[in-house]
Amino acid sequence: MDIFTNYVRYFYLTIFLCILFSFTRVMASGIRGSVYDAVSKETLIGAVIKLQGPTVTQSSSANLEGKYSFKNLTPGNYILTCTYVGYAKTTKQVTVSNSIAEVNFNLLPFSSALNEVIVSSTASKETDASARFLEKNTNQVVNILSAKTIQLLPDITVANIMQRVSGVVIDRSSSGEGRYPVIRGMDKRYNTTLVNGIKIPSPDNNNRYVPLDLFPAELLQNLEVSKSLIPSMEGDAIGGTINLVMKDAPSQLFIQANIAGGYSAILANQPFQAFNHGVINKKSPAEVNGSNYIAAPLDFPRGNLSYSQNSHPVNSTYGLTIGDRFGKNKQFGAVVSASYQDIYRGTNSSYLFPNPQPAVNNIPAFADIYLRKYSFEDRRFGAYGKLDYRIKKGQKLSLFATYINTNQFQTRSTVDSILAIQRTGPGNGNVNFQQRSTWTIQDIFNITLQGEHDLGTKFKFDWSGVYSMAKQQIPDQSIFSTLESITTDAATGATKTTPLVLDGQMTREWFHNTDQDAAFYANLTYQPKVFGKKAEFKTGGLIRHKHRDNYDNPYALIAQQTASNQPQVFTDIFNAQYAFSGVYTGGSGEINANTYSTSEDIDAGYLQGKILLSEKLEALGGLRIEHTYDSYQTAQPAVSDGRSGTIHYNDILPSLQFKYALTDQQNLRVAYYKALSRPGYFEIVPTKTVGEFYSTVGNYNLNRSKADNLDLRYEFFPGAADQVLLGAFYKRIQDPIEISVQPPSTSNFNTLTLIPLNFGTATNLGLEATVTKYIGNFGVSANYTYTHSRITTDKILLQRDATGQIATSTVAQSRPLQGQADHIANVSLLYKNFKGGLDMQLAYVYTGQRITQLSPYYGLDYYQTPFSQLDFSIEKRFLKKFSIYSKVNNLTNSPLKVKIQQQNTFLTGNNRLPIQESSNFITVQKDYYKPSFLLGLRYHL
Amino acid sequence: MKFIKSRNILLLILIANISVSCKKFEQRYADIYHPVATPSNPVSDAAPLCGNVKGTMLSGKTYTLGCDITVQAGDTLLLQNNVHINVVSGAAGILVNGTLLSIGTKDNPNYITVPGISKTDQLGANPNNDPAFKGSWRGIVGGANCPLIVIKWTHIEFGGAASGNLIGPAIGVAANKNTYDLYFQNQLGTLIVEDSWFYGSVDDPIRILGGKLAIYRNTFEKCGYIGGEAINIKGGSVGDFAYNLCIGMATNGPKSSNNGGTTIQTNMRFFNNTIINCGYRRAQTGRGGSINYEEGSAGKFYNNLMVNCRYGPRVVVSPPADTTNLQYGNNFNYGDSLSVTSQFYPVGFITKPQLTDLPDPRTFLPANYQLGAAYDGTSLIGKNNPMFINGPVPLPTGANLRDISVVGTYNFALKAGSPCIGKGYTGFKPTGNVQINPIYGATELTQPGKDIGAFQSDGSGNHH
Repeated sequence: MDIFTNYVRYFYLTIFLCILFSFTRVMASGIRGSVYDAVSKETLIGAVIKLQGPTVTQSSSANLEGKYSFKNLTPGNYILTCTYVGYAKTTKQVTVSNSIAEVNFNLLPFSSALNEVIVSSTASKETDASARFLEKNTNQVVNILSAKTIQLLPDITVANIMQRVSGVVIDRSSSGEGRYPVIRGMDKRYNTTLVNGIKIPSPDNNNRYVPLDLFPAELLQNLEVSKSLIPSMEGDAIGGTINLVMKDAPSQLFIQANIAGGYSAILANQPFQAFNHGVINKKSPAEVNGSNYIAAPLDFPRGNLSYSQNSHPVNSTYGLTIGDRFGKNKQFGAVVSASYQDIYRGTNSSYLFPNPQPAVNNIPAFADIYLRKYSFEDRRFGAYGKLDYRIKKGQKLSLFATYINTNQFQTRSTVDSILAIQRTGPGNGNVNFQQRSTWTIQDIFNITLQGEHDLGTKFKFDWSGVYSMAKQQIPDQSIFSTLESITTDAATGATKTTPLVLDGQMTREWFHNTDQDAAFYANLTYQPKVFGKKAEFKTGGLIRHKHRDNYDNPYALIAQQTASNQPQVFTDIFNAQYAFSGVYTGGSGEINANTYSTSEDIDAGYLQGKILLSEKLEALGGLRIEHTYDSYQTAQPAVSDGRSGTIHYNDILPSLQFKYALTDQQNLRVAYYKALSRPGYFEIVPTKTVGEFYSTVGNYNLNRSKADNLDLRYEFFPGAADQVLLGAFYKRIQDPIEISVQPPSTSNFNTLTLIPLNFGTATNLGLEATVTKYIGNFGVSANYTYTHSRITTDKILLQRDATGQIATSTVAQSRPLQGQADHIANVSLLYKNFKGGLDMQLAYVYTGQRITQLSPYYGLDYYQTPFSQLDFSIEKRFLKKFSIYSKVNNLTNSPLKVKIQQQNTFLTGNNRLPIQESSNFITVQKDYYKPSFLLGLRYHL
Repeated sequence: MKFIKSRNILLLILIANISVSCKKFEQRYADIYHPVATPSNPVSDAAPLCGNVKGTMLSGKTYTLGCDITVQAGDTLLLQNNVHINVVSGAAGILVNGTLLSIGTKDNPNYITVPGISKTDQLGANPNNDPAFKGSWRGIVGGANCPLIVIKWTHIEFGGAASGNLIGPAIGVAANKNTYDLYFQNQLGTLIVEDSWFYGSVDDPIRILGGKLAIYRNTFEKCGYIGGEAINIKGGSVGDFAYNLCIGMATNGPKSSNNGGTTIQTNMRFFNNTIINCGYRRAQTGRGGSINYEEGSAGKFYNNLMVNCRYGPRVVVSPPADTTNLQYGNNFNYGDSLSVTSQFYPVGFITKPQLTDLPDPRTFLPANYQLGAAYDGTSLIGKNNPMFINGPVPLPTGANLRDISVVGTYNFALKAGSPCIGKGYTGFKPTGNVQINPIYGATELTQPGKDIGAFQSDGSGNHH
């Protein structure tokens, strides 16, 4: 444990204690009171109170605690008028004498006249207090971020928002942007993503998990992270379920629009490298011309490997949300929300490429020093629409659709100093220059028709019909290299650089995959009284059919020699001569391990009961049964074992939880649930890919992982948006899936092969604490999670045997689960002045050391060193309906560092390596992103 | 009391029953495709061969491969001597899951080639038009469990076409990826290649991912377009590469690595090879041009004769060859250019100069020489002519180092008085991990020779 980590831990502890002891009140004189929703009893933060007296007219607004006050009033009669968007105006008369008058408002939502359901779908659902209300009252263990919170966060994608949720770490892409959440130390494979409670497919080519950087933050009404399951929820969420709750139709006309511009500071010294994606053909030559087509070099345009530089590309974001209700009884509701972001970024990365196979005794060996400059342009479009029709009381139909489309243009420029060949020390040897252009298109589409029907007073029926599609295309990912060599003359000591020549291959590869999903959900709820107390019994189920197609077609063109049998001197990519060598090597490569299709049918049913055992003790439990039927089909020849197959199984998933209300404001929860995690689609497909250093193969014997999960949580909601949550969890995962070395006992052990395998039992336990405390206009929100997980897997050890031969043996190694950090913390300092319309937030995230990449070799896993980031945002309202806002990310330019925990023998001498900082570990990666800024204007009706 | 007890037992039984039936209910069922063996056809020269074949190809006959053929596990395909296999361009290869035996003789060799290709072997020819690098068929590919391939006195030419839908999956690559002349990937299997000729390939003529190897007395000409070694050996390979003549390889002659190794460490003995003008079609400097040991490979290399190779023997430092188990010496190097002579001990590697090497390292390395350091090779240019009966030494006028790539009329046997004669080290033996048999094994594991190089003055060694 390094000093810094300790320091950070004490820092948080201190903050927690301060907050805990500060739940005490300080008061002044005048009129004071609170503003509540008359139905839900939520406090209405920001409600405006106008005071008209004999001599004065003043106004105030309810602060973060839902309280308002007027001080130093002369005695007399006053009229107080309280207004809040979506609520009926309320007026009260007060007589002030020499004491403090207490006046509370209970505002009626406009829609409450219709029915109770609407209450939970007014605009107020986007507030923090509403989020606390939901957290307090939901059945499962859940953390919720409201739209208001999200709007003020410095983040513009859902993935980055996730890092603010307690117990969550995010895996970043090479741009430094968050992409996948790791919930309570459980890697992305153990988590599920829902949109409005409906599971969505992933555009990832091999896996189930959904990249969350695709989703613009502003489409959200709430972000819910459920860390336990109840029977009515799908069972494949051992880590957690992320539910993106999209905006709902407001109770009256609602318009919000924003526009912002910004800049990523790194591009000032590292200009953005743009390539011409207009020349890229979305289909491979074999798709355009048929599988028998033999491609020629002219089929591969070069414009996408030619770059123009731009030091000052402007980032921009646009957002628009419009919603209203129509009809005589406002029975029709509609909301449309759209967001477009065009963000340029850069990364400056130093990466020591370890030779995949280490030396004897697993001493790491390095093959290359990569100095990489990445340029990213992300064009993210998201649209969401919802129509609802309240046929009559208790009868409602909704139709909602989500469409997400992201285009990423990525250039990766690598200066590769080759360590293994003719390098006599820094400044000498071979240098390769590699350019890679990648255009990634990802789409997610979901349309859901939902019905809610009251059948009499005690029965409710609801159903959803869903079609979803997720698609990824990477057309014509192109790579080419040039090289030069620097040598030092033995006699004179002068260095000599050879001319830049074309090297090896130019590769062009087309990938695409489509995942389509049709599902039907139905639930029947029965709400009788049991022993005079409210109870709820629920049954229902789900049918889903999924089909997925994966396509991969690589082409490799070879740099031609000159007519005089010399390497070509490189002038530019358009003059470079490449050709196919080998008959039919210009043919289609689509028959390979990555071309396959899978389908999955899930049938699930459950029984769930919730009863009040006493006034204070609520029990919820039941059983869910899921039937899985998977099949896969590869493009392999008829002689291939396992070219196709089907796998099916049932899972029984019981759960039981108790919620004990210690007081009105305090709950104690205990939850047990069983959950599963199905293997990734590609993991069961047994095709083999032979790599230079090791091969990879799928495994049709792979079992799904199952976990017993235990949760304990104490909740304290001292009022308004304040909360204290303390929790503990324990998970016991059977058959966790890890990529490992294929044991030699299996039939073919000719080359080192990596295969996904089930590994006994893993455990994961931890403690979580969340505190949110507002004092007047100031707020602090902090959370801390400690996680400890262990898994034991087989790793390779290269050692000399008794005869002095180098032999490979497998050794069991225990380690934390991939992605799990022992310590995670978030601290946000908030300032909200409703009257002045000023909001500010300083957000800090700390992520402790964690494994980011597993090595098949013993002791050579990659650890990301502790990482912290500081972000800031500010929003100021003006002219009532406008606000100006700014978001600044990565204020401290924190580097992302990765290390191997081995003695560092690369500090001195000719083998010395750059970016080293300690003799106790080897730093293998150091990435800088620099700060980015956004300045915007928001209009709000 | 008793009642309660029996109720408890009943309850236990009930729970046990439930948990058993739950287990059964949660059972995983898999229905996976397993290929059904289809019968092999007897070989026939009547029509182009396709699909599963077994049997004997008869002496004097010519067979045509119309598409990929497979020797299934348990089957044997035997080529008697004087058999010609003509492969239809591009469309075919031989996948060997069983046993393949090509038993040519000195007087009646076998040919496995693509007909109708005329070789362009004149000096300075444009390599982009050279049929040697066109990759006209898929070669011979041992499957993952192939027990035995024996190749004797056989010409194998022009490999490297796209792998296709059968061989691609067998070697784990996409269908449009290059193949080799010969590919072997079973570390429990045996590969014997004797007295044969390899001419032309896109990449390596022989690629090995494990096996027991006896590669003796062969000739490799003009292989690898912009990369490729005469034999490229990965993890799990044990055996010998001896008395071979390599001329005009893109990179090295033999290369040995333990990469991808599992339980068997690569341990290769490279001895008495003659390696001529290799390493000139690889753009990257330092990639090697004669002999190479890297990544945990053990072995021995002695008595090799290198002429005008771009680099001398490379012992790689990162990741290192198994230097503890690597012995070498008595290697002879000749160069006509400073670029060659200043890389007899290639810069940036850890090849240890041996006192038995020729020329004697003491005559040209500085006293404080550090492994891998640059040195001045000026004094070595054109010195120590190995005295071939008829060889490109010194480099013919008008020829560049990279131009010498075929044997043609050369004769690499040694004249009397050659400095190579009698300088060989004979104090070790071949690995000897293969059986000796006229058909199912090696004919002869030639012992290390008294003379350096593949051609011995006593007439033993390479017989080409």
